[in-house]
Amino acid sequence: MLKSAEAANPAPPTGLSAGSHLLVQAGEYVCALPLRSVRRVLRALPVHPLPGATAELKGLAEFAGEPLPILDLARLVGAPPGANPTYPVTIVAWAGPQDGREMIGLAADAALEVAEVPLASVVGGDGGFILGEAPVGNQVVRVLDLEALGRER
Amino acid sequence: MEAESTVGAGQAPLPEWASRFTDNALVGWILVVALTLLGFVLLSHAASSGAPSWPAYLFLALGIAGTVAYGLLVYPFFRRLEQRLPDTQERWQRLEGRLISAFEQLGAGDLVRSNVQTRNLPDRLARVSQAASEALSQLAQQIQDSSIEVASAADSVNQIATELASGSSEQAASVVEITAAMEELARTASQIAENATRQADLARKAESSGDAGAEAVDEAVLGVEEVLKRISAISSRADNLGSRSKEIYRVLDLINEIAQETHILSLNAAIEAVAAGADGRRFSVVAEEVRHLAHRSQESVESVRGLLDEFSSSIRATIVATEEGSKEASRVLERSRAASSSISDLRHASGDTSRVAQQISLATQQQNAASDEVVMTLREVSLVVQRMTGGLKNLSTTSDRLNSLGLTIQLLAQSFHLDSPRSLKHLVEDWAQKLQKATGAAELESALDELVQGAPFIEMGYFVDTTGYTVALCINKGSAGSGRSAAAPLNLREIDMTRRPWYRAVSRVKRAALTPPYESLNQGELVFTVATPMLNREGQFAGVLGVDINVNGWTRI
Repeated sequence: MLKSAEAANPAPPTGLSAGSHLLVQAGEYVCALPLRSVRRVLRALPVHPLPGATAELKGLAEFAGEPLPILDLARLVGAPPGANPTYPVTIVAWAGPQDGREMIGLAADAALEVAEVPLASVVGGDGGFILGEAPVGNQVVRVLDLEALGRER
Repeated sequence: MEAESTVGAGQAPLPEWASRFTDNALVGWILVVALTLLGFVLLSHAASSGAPSWPAYLFLALGIAGTVAYGLLVYPFFRRLEQRLPDTQERWQRLEGRLISAFEQLGAGDLVRSNVQTRNLPDRLARVSQAASEALSQLAQQIQDSSIEVASAADSVNQIATELASGSSEQAASVVEITAAMEELARTASQIAENATRQADLARKAESSGDAGAEAVDEAVLGVEEVLKRISAISSRADNLGSRSKEIYRVLDLINEIAQETHILSLNAAIEAVAAGADGRRFSVVAEEVRHLAHRSQESVESVRGLLDEFSSSIRATIVATEEGSKEASRVLERSRAASSSISDLRHASGDTSRVAQQISLATQQQNAASDEVVMTLREVSLVVQRMTGGLKNLSTTSDRLNSLGLTIQLLAQSFHLDSPRSLKHLVEDWAQKLQKATGAAELESALDELVQGAPFIEMGYFVDTTGYTVALCINKGSAGSGRSAAAPLNLREIDMTRRPWYRAVSRVKRAALTPPYESLNQGELVFTVATPMLNREGQFAGVLGVDINVNGWTRI
């Protein structure tokens, strides 16, 4: 299924700025998703829960006629739950390494904006999915590496 | 006995001519014969002169016949009469003595002895005398009874007059108190009338104020009703605005949703622009502007939503306020209507109060006038009662005098010695006859004590001998008081009674006597003494028996 999705969706262009990120609200955290991994921003898709799934996996949704696994971004980053989102969104993105990436959906509370994140200023992190934290404007965002998410999974 | 000897000594002797009736009759016979002869001579001389001589002979014959008849018939009678005249004279002298004695007893008031004296008189004279004595006895008895009744009635009148005087005094005091109370009542009535008049004025003013208040409250009711209508209209409009604001909310939600979609679209555009690389940079700028517009739209929507929230809140507050205002206006309306009803009732009550107060004022004025009349009447009554009190006091004094007069009459009546148990003289003389049989002072005193104790109206009895010593003295235990009775006998025995008036009177006339009332030495009450002489066995005066009669006790008896 992922392979078919990959066939339908070409690989991201290489000309993308490495610092362009999509800022999303996940619980109380603001996370920065690398824009080269983001495919689409959609209003929250209806999710069909999967029995026996982990807490991070909310279920399956339909995207472009294909089933799309929906992950809870807030749980992924360990964010405390925030207020009920007014316009929750589903971020369709590529996860995993370039050679075996998969399209997933990330359930977030809101899609904020596209912003440049100076990667040099990223500090902390566990060297995996969460690269670390970096200042963006007057706030601190958690910079995520979706490719690492594929590897961890 | 002394009276009979006195009467015999004072009787005049008969004339000489009256004691010689026979001689006088003889002289008369001689004179008749002489006159007959003289008449015969004169008639004979007349016959010698030529007149007929038979009248002279007839005259002579008649004279001789008369002389003979006189000598045969009249002279013996007069002779016998002359022989019986001394006995008749002695008899008439005895009768005269008895009659005089009887009249003396009668003059002394002793009708009993008077009757005894008249028993030996000739029948007719005895009957007449006894009838007169009985009539006098009955009269004295009636006088005694009447005097007792008069004394008793006077005593009753005195008591009644005293009670009436006391009652009238209390009545006068009560009338004075009632007068004062009525005057106070009149003053109070005046104050009530004034207060009622003021209350009537106040009630009329209250009624006028009630009218004005009722009009004002009616206007207020109308105003509140108008306010209620307007509040209802405002509430309706506020509800309409609330409904419209909800529509605005829906529009805002739609705009917000569109803005969100635009936002998402701009983000996707930005993603696509970034994916487009250098070619997509202009598009990313447009996407960014679109995102800004979406953001501004969201901000505007939020701003409008905020304003709309405030507006909705204001509308809700307005609705709540109008509802509260409506409720308050309803309450005010209800209260105003209640106030209008109360004011109406108050106005009617004020009118009624005014009328009642006017009636009270009139009534109290009439009461005041009536009270004044009552006060004047009570003053007149007070004067009448005072005069009546004075009159009753005079009546009491008069009844005292009447009582004294009754007692005096009683004493005067008791001065008669009647054959009646009510005659004190008779009683005491009867006692004296019984006591004369006693031998010795102890027996005498014992017999006297027995008699005294049986007569409750007798305070004490005593026998005083000719030396003035009180041989026997008995005090009635039933009538003896608690005060001076113990010391009195010793004092009485030490007194020389021969100087007492009753002793002197009795010893002088040897007849029962009464004393005027005096204060008793024993009890201090009013008594009078009835005393009678006592004779010894030889019939000589041995002393005086006296009993003290308690006036009140005797009057009650």
